[in-house]
Amino acid sequence: MSRMLLCVPALLPIIGGVAILFAGQRNAVAERKLEFWVEGLTVLNSLILGWLIFGAGEGDSLVLFHLFGNLKVMFRLDGMGRVFAGLIGFLWPLAVLYSFEYMKEEERKSTFFAYYLMTYGVTAGIAMAGNLITMYLFYELLTLVTFPLVLYPMTREARQASRKYLYYSIGGAAFAFIGLVFVLSFSATGTTEFMPGGVLDLQAAEAGKNTLYLVFLLAFFGFGVKAALFPCHGWLPRATVAPTPVTALLHAVAVVKSGAFAVLRLTYYSFGTEFLRGSWAQWVMMGAAMVSIVYGSTMAVREAHWKRRLAYSTISNLSYILLGASMMSPLGLVAALSHMVFHGFMKIGSFFCAGAVMHQTGKQYIYELDGLGKRMPVTFGCLTIASLSLIGIPMFAGFISKWNIARAGFTCGMEAAGLGMGAAVSGMTAAAGPGIWRFLPFGAVAVLLYSALMTAVYMLTVLVRAYFPKLIREINENGNGKEEKMKKAETAACDPNWMMLVPLLIFSVIIIGFGVHSQPLMAFLTEIGGAAG
Amino acid sequence: MEGNVMLLLPVLFPIFMGILVLTGKGFRTNRRSLTGVVLASLAAGAVLTVLALLSGDGSLTLWQLTADTAVVFRADGISVLFAGLTAAMWLLVGIYSFSYMTHEKQESQFFGWYLVVLGVLIGLDFSANLITFYVFYELMTLTSLPLVLHERTKEAVMAGLKYLFYSVAGAFLALFGIFFLTTVSSGLTFTPGGVLNQSLLAGREGVFLTAIFCMLVGFGTKAGMFPLHGWLPTAHPVAPAPASAVLSGVITKSGVLAIIRVIYYIVGPDVIRGTWVQTGWMALSLATVFMGSMLAYKEPVLKKRLAYSTVSQVSYILFGLSLLEPTGFVGALAHVVFHSLIKNALFLAAGAVIFTTGWTRVEQMRGLGRIMPKMLVCYTAVSLGLVGIPPLSGFISKWYLAQGALSSGTGVWSWMGPVVLLLSALLTAGYLLPLTIQGFFPGADFDEHEIAARRLIGKEPSLVMLVPVALMAAATLLFGCFPGPLLRMLEGIAGAVI
Amino acid sequence: MSFVQNFPFFSIIIAMFSGILSSVLNGKQARNVSLGAIAVTTVMSGAVLWFCLGTGESYTYMMGHFPAPWGNEIRAGVLEGLTALIFGVVMLLSVIGGMRRIFLDVENGKINQFFILVDLMLSSLLALIYTNDLFTAYVFVEINTIAGCGLIMIRQKGHSFTAAIRYMIMSQLGSGLFLIGLSLLYDVTGHLLMSPAKETVAVIEASGSYEIPMLVILAVISVGLAIKSGLYPFHAWIPDTYGYATPAASAMLSGLVSKGYIFLLIKIFYRVLGRETVIASRIVNVLFLFGLAGMIMGSVHAILEKDTRRMIAYSSVAQIGYIYMGIGLGTQAGMVAAVFHMFTHSATKALLFISAAGLYEVSGGKKDYKSLRGAGYRNPLAGIGFAVGALSMVGFPMLSGFISKLLFATSALQSPHKMMLTLIGLAVSTVLNAVYFLRLVITLYTKRTEPAETEVSRSPWMLRGAVACFILLNLILGLGSQPIVKAIADGLAMFD
Repeated sequence: MSRMLLCVPALLPIIGGVAILFAGQRNAVAERKLEFWVEGLTVLNSLILGWLIFGAGEGDSLVLFHLFGNLKVMFRLDGMGRVFAGLIGFLWPLAVLYSFEYMKEEERKSTFFAYYLMTYGVTAGIAMAGNLITMYLFYELLTLVTFPLVLYPMTREARQASRKYLYYSIGGAAFAFIGLVFVLSFSATGTTEFMPGGVLDLQAAEAGKNTLYLVFLLAFFGFGVKAALFPCHGWLPRATVAPTPVTALLHAVAVVKSGAFAVLRLTYYSFGTEFLRGSWAQWVMMGAAMVSIVYGSTMAVREAHWKRRLAYSTISNLSYILLGASMMSPLGLVAALSHMVFHGFMKIGSFFCAGAVMHQTGKQYIYELDGLGKRMPVTFGCLTIASLSLIGIPMFAGFISKWNIARAGFTCGMEAAGLGMGAAVSGMTAAAGPGIWRFLPFGAVAVLLYSALMTAVYMLTVLVRAYFPKLIREINENGNGKEEKMKKAETAACDPNWMMLVPLLIFSVIIIGFGVHSQPLMAFLTEIGGAAG
Repeated sequence: MEGNVMLLLPVLFPIFMGILVLTGKGFRTNRRSLTGVVLASLAAGAVLTVLALLSGDGSLTLWQLTADTAVVFRADGISVLFAGLTAAMWLLVGIYSFSYMTHEKQESQFFGWYLVVLGVLIGLDFSANLITFYVFYELMTLTSLPLVLHERTKEAVMAGLKYLFYSVAGAFLALFGIFFLTTVSSGLTFTPGGVLNQSLLAGREGVFLTAIFCMLVGFGTKAGMFPLHGWLPTAHPVAPAPASAVLSGVITKSGVLAIIRVIYYIVGPDVIRGTWVQTGWMALSLATVFMGSMLAYKEPVLKKRLAYSTVSQVSYILFGLSLLEPTGFVGALAHVVFHSLIKNALFLAAGAVIFTTGWTRVEQMRGLGRIMPKMLVCYTAVSLGLVGIPPLSGFISKWYLAQGALSSGTGVWSWMGPVVLLLSALLTAGYLLPLTIQGFFPGADFDEHEIAARRLIGKEPSLVMLVPVALMAAATLLFGCFPGPLLRMLEGIAGAVI
Repeated sequence: MSFVQNFPFFSIIIAMFSGILSSVLNGKQARNVSLGAIAVTTVMSGAVLWFCLGTGESYTYMMGHFPAPWGNEIRAGVLEGLTALIFGVVMLLSVIGGMRRIFLDVENGKINQFFILVDLMLSSLLALIYTNDLFTAYVFVEINTIAGCGLIMIRQKGHSFTAAIRYMIMSQLGSGLFLIGLSLLYDVTGHLLMSPAKETVAVIEASGSYEIPMLVILAVISVGLAIKSGLYPFHAWIPDTYGYATPAASAMLSGLVSKGYIFLLIKIFYRVLGRETVIASRIVNVLFLFGLAGMIMGSVHAILEKDTRRMIAYSSVAQIGYIYMGIGLGTQAGMVAAVFHMFTHSATKALLFISAAGLYEVSGGKKDYKSLRGAGYRNPLAGIGFAVGALSMVGFPMLSGFISKLLFATSALQSPHKMMLTLIGLAVSTVLNAVYFLRLVITLYTKRTEPAETEVSRSPWMLRGAVACFILLNLILGLGSQPIVKAIADGLAMFD
């Protein structure tokens, strides 16, 4: 029974979405009805997902059908899948709630929600994929169901953005495909099933080592497209033309995290860290993540459009995850997974705040935000929490993950330097790694901190503007000389209604909650990391 | 949560009261209730701090932040020194502000944040490990920001942002070191003599020393050490005088506290003695001492001049610490206390001038003695103290610093240090005393009519403003005459760590 | 001898006779006869496939029991049966789907001629598939060319004349080269039947004589057939031909005709010249490189094209490149991939042409990008058909294109020197395919801002039915590929 249920979270929303799409094409669906069905399906799906995550789906796997030969479409929920599935299962109902309010004035709502729902299923499919080919299948599907959402405004800008998104994603998948083929042919079991520690037949792989490294990198960059890895990031800032619920959930969580998740799967469950650790591929991967972090956070500072700024911030934060992954150690995986979870909450929170402001006031640029902090206290309160967390202030969730990444970095650096812990490992890596690379992990930590500083700059300037509006000097010339008056920029605005606020408040509570008490989650992640690293 | 709960009260109580003041609607309009509540809170904060300090050397574990780090409070010798100083200064400056802030807007905002920062600073002083310390360090930056940009003019907001970004940059630079230290130490609890695990450290000294240096520079940001001193002269002139006073007098000291904690309680002075880190540190601090005095000497705006002076004086402290030697350490800690008293008094005096006359530049202040002679006397007294004239307190600390330098055995630095300190003292006299001289002796060509026309003659600031300054000046004198108890206490601390 | 074994011969004859019959019928009757003939031959091909799968071996069929050198032989195996079956299905669906356009595009009195040409095309394709005799092959190559030319020209618009003439010239060049190769081969071996010719070739090979003539034969035949199937540098005729013919003709020409020549080439490689000889001759490397170049350049041309039908035509250049790349890999797996892609491409490209026709219908007959905006809403099924076809070409999992891509990639791993080139080529080509196909798909689903100027006419049920069947065919090839790939491998094994 529970075995069959494994396919439900992936298929139910897809079927539901298609149904809504067709129903919406024939005649306009009543708003109430639409909301009922969409929220109902989402919650139901999350409940099933939750039930599977907490125990019921333990160790089961379900083969849906064979795509070709050994290529099974298969679902299984292992530890890492649970983390991702839990994240999206939690976020989706809240995001849907938020979208109802946000999309109130828009047309073609049924189309929007149909695809929104389908994306849920596809993302769940990625989380629960039991092997590389299934993940690849859903990864491609994800592109297809999300691009109509980017296209949704149908403006010229949206058309261009969606086109770009499509090209990038398909292109990335094309390169990831090469990785898939190689894993398939070098796999010890002849399948692409995810196994902690990888499936490569190490003896066979040793012979074509450098080719495999190259292929790994191709696949890494391929999946990295969705994770907005520099230089494949171009689509993300453009895609912010989509409605905010899309940018928030999809381009801060579902889509980009799918990319990062895929990289983690590729690194830890397909190629295996034992094969990659200490190779030049690891250094290139680490370097790419570092470049991307620096690029993303620097560009975010330069960007005046709020949502685009957040998009650049996503670029840098996603590469935190990849950076953690590139450490090729249990610690690295723990760090990557924890940042995946925490960044999900922080970034969706920030985007929802931006969306709330856009919805209430129509303001999109940061220089327009003067004084809104007092007018929309709840929204900006939540934004403050999300920002502090993004910067990495202790007591907020973001610090925990950065802490973990840095720790992984140092540990990796020390191992690469061939010193101390784990003599066997270090002996191997010291021989393999060329001299200068040894310092890369340390550089990675430095990059992390540079990015933290930039994060402070781009997030806090928003807050300072909102809370401490500059006073406008107003000089009145009248009879008894100059009279100088300081005036505040006035804007009429207020917090949005509960449908938008409730998700925000929940995110804030979670960010703080994880910030002060992260141990249970960390223990769980460490277990996963221990198995896979 | 286990341990001495008394430690929590002086941290949480001011923060709670501060939030109350910030959010309570009544405080925006009713000034009387505002001052009443704030005064009561400040006094209660001071009392609670003293009580907590007297409650013994217990510690308080709040909760585990991650598997191997917890949020822990403890009051040791250093905590006593810094927490006591903070509470006292906060009370005095607070009293002064009741009068001063009448000419600023949004008083409730100012006092609310003022109280919050007090709680955070006490928390910083009580932190028992590096992580807890870092938490409060970041919080301090964020909560003190509203004090800096209180006036909300374009300059104030920009200065606030500059302060923010310098501080955050420094903190992250330091965080690099913290990250590294977690991997080579056995826990990050502050322990005299350090907690390094030599076996883990073996073989990676290069990175280790770099990390330590990063921490020095990073935490040095708050202490205004070159090269990240830039925020001080920008932030001080635009902030309200009480804010500049505590910023300069107390918050810069938290940078010093951070460095003390890292070097003497985590790393251990023996590890870096004789390495390039110590040399670099000494060079940076001495450079800052000299550069700060030079810039102050050339600066016409009084508050900015005082800010540069802070840059220079706090680096006296850092220089004392960099000697890694007991006498210098005592001198440094003594200078923490004395400089805090003196600089607070100086800024408050400068604030009084602005409050009464609106003058900001030194050359405008000729004949100040005609307007506020008592205030100017206090100013002069503490200025002399800063220059280092006996029997005022500044002399004591400088004496110890010079002695420490000479006996530190650091080669060329052991004599170069005192020379630079002496030079800087001369410059200090050069940039502080002209105000006194021109104030009391404006010269023959001074035209009194102008100030008379504004009815400024004999317009001494109110007692609320004068008394705190006078108290500080008195304390300066008192510590100069009877430094014994303080020095014994400091020597006790020094004996434990070195 | 089982009765089923007569089917290959019957199907060729039925197709030819229905053509002859159609010349005295009117358009509608000719249509019915033609459809009937295609349907019957398809069923027969299916039966042949079934029979061969059952016996597990191929058989030759002597016409009139005359042995060589007088007689004419037909050979049928799994691969022949499968190819004939898929070609038949595609042809049937193409004609049905393009039916309305046929009656619109073709002059009223000449409709029966169109169907005559279709019948001839069918018979020549079947003959190319089944023949075991090189000269018969040549004869039907020519018939095929003439039929193709007629199909293009019958639309009788300015463009289609030039297109037809171009096609004619290029095709004749190809045929000529093929004929020269054939003559040389006959000269060297003294045989025109494939099996004895192969034996002689093996003997000659072993003796080490005639090295250069053999190489020339190989080169001339390859180039000749490559020109006829439109391999990259010889592709100049493709865009005009496919772009200006009536949709049914375009679908058949691009989906089937070029594949017939490729099939013939593969057959000659295996059954006459010998696989080892071909691989040893390095001509495969040339084919590989041309194929690779075609993959990239075809797509680049397609991206630059504004007219969507010419764009689809250029895409064929790229896809033919894929097939030649597979052949050029020189391995059994590569050949399987190439054959499978032949099927993929004929099913997909026909789908694209037919659904594109459905989309033009609702866009005022215009074929450029702008006019097609929003067409996906006006004709939903055609839109979905086009999207499925496009995604299949891009290599989306669950569709047939993905399996081809996978087969190409896995087979590439077996030839280390061409591996990286193939993989990167595949990836780049995927990206390029995505660029022009998905760009058009986006356009199809972008709402038009100005009101549509033509009234939206519902497409005929035939078109919609054809599109639905094509989509189904694509899914079958994508999801149930395992037995098909196995059949291809078996069939290729039977060639040796």
